[in-house]
Amino acid sequence: MSLLEVKNLGISFGGLRAVQDFSLSIPPGGLFGLIGPNGAGKTTVFNLLTGVYAPSDGTIELAGRSLVGLRPFQIAEAGLSRTFQNIRLFPDLTVLENLKIAMHLRGRHTLAGTILRSGHFRATEADQTRRAMELLSIFDLTDRADAYARNLPYGDQRRLEILRAMATQPRLILLDEPAAGMNPAEKLALAESIRRIRTDFGLTVLLIEHDMTLVMDVCERITVLDYGQIIAVGEPAAIQKNPKVIEAYLGEVANER
Amino acid sequence: MGEGLEQLSHVSDRAGVGAGMIPRWVAPCVVVAFAFVMYASGGFVGDYASRVMLDTGIMMIAAVSLTIVNGFTGQFSIGHAAFMAIGGYVSGWLTYYGLLATLGRTTDLGAEHGWLLLPAAIIGGLAAAGAGWLVGLPSLRLRGDYLAIVTLGFGEILRVLLQQTDRQRFSSQEMSEVGLLGLIVPPDVGGASGFESIPKLTNLAWVYLMVGAVILFAIRLKYSSYGRAMLAIREDEIAAESMGVNVTRMKVRAFMFAAFFAGVAGTLYAHQPGTLLRPADAGYARSFDIVIMVVMGGLGSISGATLAAIVVSLLNVGLLELADYGAMKWRMPIFALLLILIMIFRPQGLFGLREIWDFFRSRDRTGGGR
Amino acid sequence: MADFLQTLLNAVTIGSLLALVALGYTMVYGILKLINFAHSDVVVLGAWTSVTLAVVLLPRLGVGLEAGSIPPVWAGVLVLVLAMMICGGVGFLIERLAYKPIRKAPRLNALITAIGVSLLLQNVGQLQYTIIDNQSLETSGLMQERGTDARTIRLAQAIELEEGTQYAIRLYRIADIVRATEAIGHPEAEAWKRYVTERSALPSLGTLSDTRLRLSPRTIVPEVSGRFEAGSDIGIAQPIGRSETRDAVFELYAISPHPPLKLPFGAMPQRIPELLPQKTLVQHDFTTEIAQADGSVVRIEKPLRITLLDIVIVGTAVILMLLLELLVYRTKVGRAMRALSYNMETAQLMGIPVNRIVSLTFVIGAMLAAAAGFLYALKYTQIQQPAHTTWVLLGLKAFVAAVVGGIGNLRGAVVGGFLIAFIEQFGAYLGQQAGWQNSSAYTDVFAFVLLIIVLLVRPAGLFGSAVREKV
Repeated sequence: MSLLEVKNLGISFGGLRAVQDFSLSIPPGGLFGLIGPNGAGKTTVFNLLTGVYAPSDGTIELAGRSLVGLRPFQIAEAGLSRTFQNIRLFPDLTVLENLKIAMHLRGRHTLAGTILRSGHFRATEADQTRRAMELLSIFDLTDRADAYARNLPYGDQRRLEILRAMATQPRLILLDEPAAGMNPAEKLALAESIRRIRTDFGLTVLLIEHDMTLVMDVCERITVLDYGQIIAVGEPAAIQKNPKVIEAYLGEVANER
Repeated sequence: MGEGLEQLSHVSDRAGVGAGMIPRWVAPCVVVAFAFVMYASGGFVGDYASRVMLDTGIMMIAAVSLTIVNGFTGQFSIGHAAFMAIGGYVSGWLTYYGLLATLGRTTDLGAEHGWLLLPAAIIGGLAAAGAGWLVGLPSLRLRGDYLAIVTLGFGEILRVLLQQTDRQRFSSQEMSEVGLLGLIVPPDVGGASGFESIPKLTNLAWVYLMVGAVILFAIRLKYSSYGRAMLAIREDEIAAESMGVNVTRMKVRAFMFAAFFAGVAGTLYAHQPGTLLRPADAGYARSFDIVIMVVMGGLGSISGATLAAIVVSLLNVGLLELADYGAMKWRMPIFALLLILIMIFRPQGLFGLREIWDFFRSRDRTGGGR
Repeated sequence: MADFLQTLLNAVTIGSLLALVALGYTMVYGILKLINFAHSDVVVLGAWTSVTLAVVLLPRLGVGLEAGSIPPVWAGVLVLVLAMMICGGVGFLIERLAYKPIRKAPRLNALITAIGVSLLLQNVGQLQYTIIDNQSLETSGLMQERGTDARTIRLAQAIELEEGTQYAIRLYRIADIVRATEAIGHPEAEAWKRYVTERSALPSLGTLSDTRLRLSPRTIVPEVSGRFEAGSDIGIAQPIGRSETRDAVFELYAISPHPPLKLPFGAMPQRIPELLPQKTLVQHDFTTEIAQADGSVVRIEKPLRITLLDIVIVGTAVILMLLLELLVYRTKVGRAMRALSYNMETAQLMGIPVNRIVSLTFVIGAMLAAAAGFLYALKYTQIQQPAHTTWVLLGLKAFVAAVVGGIGNLRGAVVGGFLIAFIEQFGAYLGQQAGWQNSSAYTDVFAFVLLIIVLLVRPAGLFGSAVREKV
């Protein structure tokens, strides 16, 4: 029984088939990768999974529940969370507030409780703060809890995005290029943290990444997209040798030169 | 003000002490005590000063309530006066015809009728909140600038409709001839010439009790799960929705909260001595005044909006004092120019999203303000 | 039938005006993604400049605008062209000074700035700075004679009224004075209140023209001269009338023959001189027969008139729209504009002078607005400077037209303009047919209801395409 089951997913913008016939199955606790050249449709797949775009066809199921047609916040509630390729933190709010917003859907209270500052309200707030601080400790960010998100260095902003996605208490987390802009040492630390997220927090991870070393290092299984279509699926070692993948990437390199 | 203390619990929160440093009943007590002082001082300050204070207080309520929509959720409503007008007309209709039917007069009321303002304000607020729901619901499919137009259009439509209302009835005999239904459809609220003789129930105590209530409400909202969700929408709508915030619902609620307090402000205005409620009160001119305050204070800053309301009101008084030198006509040009200059040189307004007290503990926040 | 055709004609005329204004909104939005709130104020400015030019400039050029004389065609064209140039200049300044600094700022900031510019234009336009006044207070007093046919005012002191000087009498209702003084906390407020209750001595007068009081007195021009002693009555040719005399105070002003020196703006209504002969080109009488209850038949003749004015309005608007169409789709500049509306950064990289093109867009939009203002002033000869609701509503409706047509789309704006005009004109017409008494008062409501429906059903407008936000 897989946690995420995607079948024949597709979407077109105008006449362009941005993604077609995309299928993916991730078992609970899996750490999967999604790679492909620029413009292959990776982020579009994420947007389809999280309800930002509505698919033209295909099915998405999370633990047996269909996600198609749900609004993004309902999908987050169902247990699927994400980070963004171009960082989308809440820049004018503090690190702590960024995390607490993501906890919003798990700890609500009535308006009256909020305004009267009921005991329940205070307990939830304190509990959320405690959990947020715990999360921050994963990336050693506890002393930045009261900094405004916009003032964090780039790498910390990426890390905070991952933590924010985790704060929604998801079962599956989608990471969109978490290592973008990081130096090799930071990437190593990130790889370690991603593994920890899976083992310590029992999360299933789907990762988009351009850094091949990182992908090959952490992922158990990789799906390769090109022009919106899957061209290969397999273990990292097999993917590295797949001629279609090499051609897709080499073609891209050749074009860039 | 006492609400500043609320913030301290937020800090202690971070330190893990728990949110119990200041008992939660302190802030409401401060509000009530302040209102009482206002009540007691009512006799001392004199007619002119008290009128200025009433005007200022009502503008503070309007500005803080608009902050909930424009500042917290980042939506841009420029029809706030319309919600004030709804509150004013609905509550005014109730108190005017209610007193006419029971007492036979609406003027020369004794202090024993003062309490009537509270139910009037609540009903006026609820009516406005209902209108806020109506306007908010379809508008939420629209991006910021379209929403602005729809709210502006709503105010103008309301103004046109109010101008078409029927002649006011001046005696209980006339009332009984028309019947209750005749008073409601279309409402007999005086049409273009205004709704006269609404009982003058507003006084300093009521106004500042409501000022305290709206400030307390806004601050407690801002520093709660609710408020953070609203702020998230303003910061990044797509990210907020992906993090589990029901964006539509939050926007509608923000609209309704703001409209409710606008309705309260409208009720106070309608029942204020020396004012005449007219259809023009729903129009854009008044809405822009409120927008100017919110933008000046900083979109999202409750203390900023409060301060801006005071500054703008006092500026009005100052210009009024200089009226003999032709100062009044420079009022709007000055404000308009100020609005443009703020946008060019300090686009986040006086305080931005921050509150006054945030600046006194900037050391706490690594990197400080923006 | 006559009513129907007349409504159709009105719809076409108003539609072409709305379309002209809507084009300006849609052009700016297409390129900057900014609702140019100040656009409607430029329309007013256009109307205002046209009036001022016609009043000030034409007589100096020897074009007499006396009643009955027909001005040459070039006079109208000259006024139109000059007004367009002046407004174009203002449009350029608005863009350079206010919008350019915030071009990269969030949309909300741009919107607030636009509101600020609109407020600024509106209120600067209302400034009526009198440098030399032409009236002075001679005397004041309480109205003694009461009733609707009162014809005299009684003087409290002796006064000399000179022949040849014009005088004006202003009547203020005491109830209004009491309310106004109380509202602003005037120092005399208490005295006035006491006067009403106790009929004590009349408070000092001479302060009633104070702008703070916002009183709107009724003005009467007496036609008398000579010396009048205290206690004597001055008779007035026409009855004072209305209810003001019940409990009112009068002020007698002398008006000097020299006009006051004022800034060319002001909140007072102004009238444009007739630039067009009032000629009816087509007239057709329709006869309606209405059968009465007693079996007889009543014939009502209703004429349908197509005037020169209608033709000029529609013609000018159509010519300008065609010119714009040529500019945008047939010239290099137009191509640059279209490129900018797709993607400003890329256009810049391609060597398009972005600043110049944006400025040009504003200038053209402002010129179209000026033309609309000119035509508007011709049609509705009495115009009032800003904050006058007609103008705000005109701007709003033109914006609604642009949105309904699909904002950013030129042809959509034109279609939207006509659509709005048709809906409000025929809405009022059909309402009247159905027996709805004052359905024309609701025309503004129709436009906004249409806006809300369109935004809900097809948010991108009739001809627009939805833009997807990149995530």
